[in-house]
Amino acid sequence: MTRTVDPAAGRIAALGAALVLLALAAAPAATSAGEVRVELQSRDGTPVPGVAVVLEGPAGAPARSSGRHSARMDQQDRRFVPQVLVVDTGTSVEFPNSDHVSHQVYSFSPARPFQLPLYKGAPHPPVQFPAPGLVVLGCNIHDEMVGYILVTDSPFHATTDAGGAARLREVPPGAYRVTVWGPLIHDGGGTLTTTLAVAGDGPQTLSLRLKDPLRRSPSPRPGRVDWDGY
Amino acid sequence: MARRILAVAILLLAPAMVARAGDRLELTGLLDLRVVAADGTTSYLNGGLGRTRFDSDHDGVQLGRLMLAGRFRLTDTLTLNAVAESYADGDVQPAGFSQAYLDWRPFPTRPVRFRLRAGAFYPPVSLEHRQVGWTSPYTLSTSALNTWIGEEFRVIGTELEARWLGASQGYNGDVALVGGVYGWNDGAGTIMADRGWALTDRPSLLLGGLGHAHEHLYTELDGRPGYYAGVAWRHGEALEVRALHYDNRADPGAHNSRFDFAWETRFTSVGVRYEPTDRVTLMAQHLDGKTYVGPDSAGPDQFALRVHPCTPWRATSAVRTACRCATIISRTGRTAASIRTTRPTTRVTPSRWRGSSASTNTGSSSPKSCAFAASSRRDSTSTSVRASPTGRRSWPCDTGSRSRRARLRIDAIGGGV
Ligand SMILES: [Cu+2]
Repeated sequence: MTRTVDPAAGRIAALGAALVLLALAAAPAATSAGEVRVELQSRDGTPVPGVAVVLEGPAGAPARSSGRHSARMDQQDRRFVPQVLVVDTGTSVEFPNSDHVSHQVYSFSPARPFQLPLYKGAPHPPVQFPAPGLVVLGCNIHDEMVGYILVTDSPFHATTDAGGAARLREVPPGAYRVTVWGPLIHDGGGTLTTTLAVAGDGPQTLSLRLKDPLRRSPSPRPGRVDWDGY
Repeated sequence: MARRILAVAILLLAPAMVARAGDRLELTGLLDLRVVAADGTTSYLNGGLGRTRFDSDHDGVQLGRLMLAGRFRLTDTLTLNAVAESYADGDVQPAGFSQAYLDWRPFPTRPVRFRLRAGAFYPPVSLEHRQVGWTSPYTLSTSALNTWIGEEFRVIGTELEARWLGASQGYNGDVALVGGVYGWNDGAGTIMADRGWALTDRPSLLLGGLGHAHEHLYTELDGRPGYYAGVAWRHGEALEVRALHYDNRADPGAHNSRFDFAWETRFTSVGVRYEPTDRVTLMAQHLDGKTYVGPDSAGPDQFALRVHPCTPWRATSAVRTACRCATIISRTGRTAASIRTTRPTTRVTPSRWRGSSASTNTGSSSPKSCAFAASSRRDSTSTSVRASPTGRRSWPCDTGSRSRRARLRIDAIGGGV
């Protein structure tokens, strides 16, 4: 059964005038029971991939893990892949470094400051993220490398796929706060919030459309070209 | 008299190799061979007035460049970098170092990152030379402006960069302040005053200079350190803007027993690289400066006594150096096309202390040039073909003559592991 979300209610729930972008619509998508599908479109209607979506449950709801305790943040062609990773609090993240050059990943974000040299052929341990918050990753060798790990206490999180859709499974009924965050989103300073009432176990879809154009994404560069040779 | 030059070069770039010794040493090798067919004025490298590297004496297979660049990690934050090169341009040295420096980059713990370099390296002017060993991924020969930087400028000293890292503050970009203090660059300006602007991919070596034409480029003659200071702004990967002021603070009256003269050389350069879409790169650079040789601390009489008998034509002169260049590179799939315009100017003004009658080297020129190149790259391990017909006219000459040249170049370039 598909639940219809009232567009007016959705707009009222949006925080602040900057978030007028939110347009909630019902979509008869093929979602399974207990699944929430969040679709994000840019201003011109194209899907926005690689955006973090987090559903935070009602206050006092029993804490529950998503069941994933490890994740990967790769380095390919001097980029973090994925650029945005959402993990449960306490997750260990591996940084395998698929490049043929070395990297030196660091963060000085309060949620998890760390320094991790990724030399080829040298073993390096995964990094644990014990506290919630946004961790901004940089590389000490390649300044243009930027990645993000969003650490959350909520078990309901996903990133949007190539079609701009994020699927959150087994979401129990209740009132949820929906947070959408992406480095290229201009609206609301990058963070959009709204609320969503999940009723019963019927699958439902939340469609969001951005009001402002996306920030420009980094341009692809030829593979294996070292740009740091000044 | 108008001259024509037609050059066909095939660049057989052996795969650039990256090797590794343990996890501490990274080596990058480059072999660049070209088939050259040229018809033009004798190159300045062979003592002529031609502003290109190859002339009609170079028909056949030529070594474009043989390079080995190494980065050795001493600690997590300290690396030793060195670049050895050979050009086989009849050099004094068959091979030599073009760069050798220590690079210290402590991990940032705040949104500001510091970087310290010490040794011999290029000042951060060029927007084209983005690859290991100060090589360009875009075109075969670089713009006249950056050709000059490669020929006469090497920071032999130390540089400090402070970079504000915007990503942690929600801004996709950086702003950097950079400053350097150096010596051994008192000769910068010699080649410019002798020859003017050129278009090559042939930087100088630290000890071998530019071969027989200029062997002793990096000398200290007056004991006065020079400096540069600049700012750089990066906005995502779409936009980079740089400005830099360079002053070698040379005493223009100083020279050594070999009569290598100190030239007081100053310039300000501004550059922009903008990539409005994934397929287009726009680069523009502007440089405006002055280089001066003449009496300063020594006084007119002393200077004339020492210098005039040897090289009367440059007893004293001031050369205004200005260059504007812009390049557009358009990529479609695996092929790329580029067009570049260059407007280099040198203006030699007469003696300040003896009046205009002392100088026979007065003149100015403001030529323009335009080049077009197309390249195709299949993938990182295969060979690709690049064709670059190059046309340009009216290069400045010390004699004030004008020439008209067109050049066609077909080259093949391959990169890879
Ligand atoms: Cu890196």
